[in-house]
Amino acid sequence: MNKVTTTLWGLLVLVILSAMAAITFGPADIDSAELITCLVSNCQNPIANVIIWQIRIPRVLVALVAGMGLAIAGAILQNTTRNPLADPYLFGIVSGAGLGATIANITLADNLTIALPLAAFLGALFAVIIVVFIAKVLQRMEQLLLAGVAVSFMLASITQFILYFGEPFATNRVIFWLMGSLARVEMSNFYVIASVLIVAIVTVFALHRQIDALLLGDESAASLGVDVDKLRLLMLGICAALTATIVAYCGGIGFVGLMIPHIVRQLVGVTTLKLIIGSALIGAIFLIWVDVIARSSLPHAEIPIGIITSALGSIFFLFIMYRSRAIN
Amino acid sequence: MKLTSLLLTLLLISSSAYAELSIETNKELDKELSKEENKPSIIALAPHIVEMLYDVGAGEQIIGTTAFADYPEQAKKIPRIGNYIRLQLERVIELQPDLIIAWKNGNPSDDLARLEQLGFNVIYSHPLIFSDIAKEVRHFAKLTGHSEQGERVAKKFELELAKIIMTYQDKTVITGFYELWSRPLTTVAKGSWPQQFFNICKVKNPFAKVITPYPQISIEQVLPAAVQVIIQPLSVNQKEREGFNWQDWPMIPAVANKQIIQPDADAMHRMTVRSLTALKDLCAAIDKTRTILQQKHN
Repeated sequence: MNKVTTTLWGLLVLVILSAMAAITFGPADIDSAELITCLVSNCQNPIANVIIWQIRIPRVLVALVAGMGLAIAGAILQNTTRNPLADPYLFGIVSGAGLGATIANITLADNLTIALPLAAFLGALFAVIIVVFIAKVLQRMEQLLLAGVAVSFMLASITQFILYFGEPFATNRVIFWLMGSLARVEMSNFYVIASVLIVAIVTVFALHRQIDALLLGDESAASLGVDVDKLRLLMLGICAALTATIVAYCGGIGFVGLMIPHIVRQLVGVTTLKLIIGSALIGAIFLIWVDVIARSSLPHAEIPIGIITSALGSIFFLFIMYRSRAIN
Repeated sequence: MKLTSLLLTLLLISSSAYAELSIETNKELDKELSKEENKPSIIALAPHIVEMLYDVGAGEQIIGTTAFADYPEQAKKIPRIGNYIRLQLERVIELQPDLIIAWKNGNPSDDLARLEQLGFNVIYSHPLIFSDIAKEVRHFAKLTGHSEQGERVAKKFELELAKIIMTYQDKTVITGFYELWSRPLTTVAKGSWPQQFFNICKVKNPFAKVITPYPQISIEQVLPAAVQVIIQPLSVNQKEREGFNWQDWPMIPAVANKQIIQPDADAMHRMTVRSLTALKDLCAAIDKTRTILQQKHN
């Protein structure tokens, strides 16, 4: 077993241990004996039963797949665009989701449970469609990122305009929704995200050699028989669907897609297959623990998860940059 | 920008010091006692709901609330289970309330939907005008087993409100400016809670017709309105709250005549029985301004 394979197996063990440990954290006071009883046999305490099976386990599982999904989306985009700053959020996905959430908050305030994730998902997809359309019109797919930034600002300004003239409390709801949270998730959300994630992983695994060819440059990839624009578009579509699904249920969770692939490259290298597996595992571990911090660090309240991912992520990212500079 | 003004709206409406948690309350015992007396245990998810429940005599049945519920004094001892951004669902489940009273606009709707899905009995508070306070007082009193006291409080509230309206209905209208927030300068318009104070105290709001209920404006828009009185509510619990420096603009009649009124923001912005005292005091202060202006005019 080589070093990379050992690392990946080690990470898998860490994912499993993290998920199990995360179930023990939460504001409700449940002792470990009760927790184990509830997990392996019939729960004696109905309150503990609800907390464990309907609150904590869905949260941990959604953190696991959302962390995997965001990190994979970042890794795919960075490899297919050969841009280290590529991140699903740079394609206007969060701004689009924010616009969708705003419209839902203003017009469908009484049915937000269904309307909000649906509108956010449609908003995110709408943003990506505009970005791709612009890049197509310009006939320069390599300018996807710049188009994404422009669309992002455009959609954000529309959102702010609607909020300014809308119901005052809607602003609060949208702003805090965009900060991200796993508090609202349930098992059905896990099944949806996991399904999209599996489709994404299978597709990327099937096309990993073509994506690797892109790393050599567009011309080299084309000479190897890769339809560069088509592949890039397909990958963008997969990342958009994956991120939009996660954002719809969890709100904005920044920095995971940008940061995790960079960490993984240092551990397992740049080729797509290893990068995707490594990103999925580290992304899952990262988000599971960030959610533990979100729900356990304050005695009477939760911290929006996006605040922690951005705070921890940026510090850790700067540390990695400094370390790689020192090595070089 | 809008975030600031809206945060302030929420904070002003329900602001004050973050109360310390007092977990020592024997929740189980309280719950059993209240159930025995056919008085449900309650989680009240907004400061104004807590106040209303204390008004009808159901304060002791509250087993959990959110941040900023600081009135009356005993409310500071109620365990906290979240804030207006997010509730701690695990804590709510652990407390097993018979009834959850939530604020329609001010609580996270997804958390409330989840609680309803888990089988909790959630009812909503949604006061938009003064008369809604009396309606909700009656409703909450009935739900919590205090109908008699609720009826008394609601009746008294309605009578006093009618009396205030009658006292000021024929008064001369003067022009006023309501400073909801100073940076950015934010005021109120139709559809906002404070606009009612202006309507009853017979004050014309030059920004009443603006499309958004809490518009941000510039001093340039205030100057031509020639406002005769400025209402600058300040919260005693917000130490950093800094009012707009009106003294820099002596050309405004209200500033020249020193007619800047600074009422208690908490009492004004919280939709409870207390807001009637704030209304009464504000109308009286505005009436004094009216008298001063008339004397100057004569």
